[in-house]
Amino acid sequence: MAKLSMKERYAALTRDLDWDFDYVDSKEVFPYTTFEGIKIHDWSKWEDPFRLTVDSYFKYQAEKDRRLYAVLDSFAQSQGHLSLHEARYLNAMKLFLQGVTPLEYAAHRHFAFLARFLDSGGPRFAALCQSIDELRHAQTEIHTLSNYNKYYSGFHSWPKMHDRVWYLSVPKSFFDDAISSGPFEFLTAISFSFEYLLTNLLFVPFMSGASFNGDLPTMTFGFSAQSDESRHMTLGLESIRFLLEQDPDNVPIVQGWIDKWFWRSYRVTALVAGMMDYMLPRKVMSWKEAFELYFEEQMMGSLFKDLAYYGIRPPAHVGDAIAEKEHLSHQVYWTLYSFSFAAAFTTTVPDPAELEWLSQTYPESFDKLYRPRWERAAEITEGGGRFFFQGLPQLCQVCQIPMLFTEPGDPTTICQRHSNFNGENFDFCSDGCKSIFDKEPEKYIQAWLPVHQIFQGNCGGPSVPEVLDWYGIQEGDNAEYLGSKDNLNWLSWHDDSAK
Amino acid sequence: MPVKAISNYSFESRSRAELYGDDQLVNVWWVNAPMMCAAACFRAPREMAWSDFLAAMVYPWASSDPGFEASRASSWQVDGVGFSPDPSATLASLGVRHKSLVSFKS
Repeated sequence: MAKLSMKERYAALTRDLDWDFDYVDSKEVFPYTTFEGIKIHDWSKWEDPFRLTVDSYFKYQAEKDRRLYAVLDSFAQSQGHLSLHEARYLNAMKLFLQGVTPLEYAAHRHFAFLARFLDSGGPRFAALCQSIDELRHAQTEIHTLSNYNKYYSGFHSWPKMHDRVWYLSVPKSFFDDAISSGPFEFLTAISFSFEYLLTNLLFVPFMSGASFNGDLPTMTFGFSAQSDESRHMTLGLESIRFLLEQDPDNVPIVQGWIDKWFWRSYRVTALVAGMMDYMLPRKVMSWKEAFELYFEEQMMGSLFKDLAYYGIRPPAHVGDAIAEKEHLSHQVYWTLYSFSFAAAFTTTVPDPAELEWLSQTYPESFDKLYRPRWERAAEITEGGGRFFFQGLPQLCQVCQIPMLFTEPGDPTTICQRHSNFNGENFDFCSDGCKSIFDKEPEKYIQAWLPVHQIFQGNCGGPSVPEVLDWYGIQEGDNAEYLGSKDNLNWLSWHDDSAK
Repeated sequence: MPVKAISNYSFESRSRAELYGDDQLVNVWWVNAPMMCAAACFRAPREMAWSDFLAAMVYPWASSDPGFEASRASSWQVDGVGFSPDPSATLASLGVRHKSLVSFKS
């Protein structure tokens, strides 16, 4: 038998194995691709963005895995964890493992669902590849970070924490929202709005942060995932292009989803903003710089100009996101500092060099608004105390973040928005979250808000220790970094090596 | 605009008033306090006296900031409307409802 060319093999493996259904109505086989109102006339117009066949896909991935696991082995054997810049850096990785890794797994599951339920062989194969990618990412992240679990707090119980802990309900509810929508909304939400628009803001800070702070395994994982991420971004763009070209009636539906999912995704990256500017002892770039480069320049300056051809405008409320870039990370990290008694990571007042960096990086806002808070917090610490918010916060019904964000144009006043639905009041952190609720209140009234669940008695008991126990948070995982188990261990390990 | 769904889509609120029995959730916002990153949320009996609500819930929370002085709390509002609460009046009689926003300045 003559050998097929690469192009023929590709077509054979991704399309020729597909068949039409003649004894079952195709609506029974693919029941989920019509209810959203999206009109698809010709599935064959889907351009496979991956251009990979299964055999070459597995070959590449196996090679990347071999490299990663070689690094992990040598790291473990050489006590690599001692060569981190500082143990405090690992707080960023705890947040990553608790918040992001479970999303990789959730993405794996839902892309597997799409690999079964999209109507055509091309997009099903694309979804299959991404499903396998996401599973590989979840596994390799777990393996990479499990090296730290032996020596540091906060790396255990993360699947349980993801399902239960207040700040992790932010990424969890975000993804649950996407998974519980239809297949085309999911693609717009995750592949386009999250992966294409914002993935660089999520991935680059964590992976560059790893590289700057001596975390070789995580950096290697980042390289291993990078080529997959660029394929995922391509899928995101292809999904949007395909939907927009299939029928003009799809345009307003897709625009509505872009409006919604830009804001949902952007709010999740608030945690990344706080991480970047405060959790990395050695800074990569500021949140503001990253936002300007990866979002304002690359997306607003380029992508949305191209999408105007299809009648797509930039997402609603994007101006609010741009306007708060001077404030976002400070407000978020101050909140994490205030509540870290209930978190599976530790926080501390930035040291003088960091305060100086923050001041220079945020000349418009830091010295005037945020430095005074840190000075007060430092005074309280010097007096033998530790500033914590001794209560539970009001949460946004949509993004589930404590309502910490300020009014557009007034960074001294907390933004409070409300809607009434069926006689009940609901609260929101922003116009973006309120408008999402107002369009689909029936969905968001079901939100599992951690604070309300604690008050309903569903989280282990009414006291803080009972809730922490139910969260899976143990002594040493939480609260202040200075004097914590990780801090003391780190000092003693390095003291010994100096002797 | 209803949710687009594959079947009838109707669910109850996961924070509806009846889930809290004789109590309700009350949000309290100390408006001009930069140390307090957000308003606080409390579960309080509808029939709790205003003075008890302050003493048992609001003041201990506001004391997170060691500079808090109860005597300087003023400009009280419920859901954006100013009021001068009688200390012995109950939350319900003062118009504080489930998930109301009580705010003050100091």
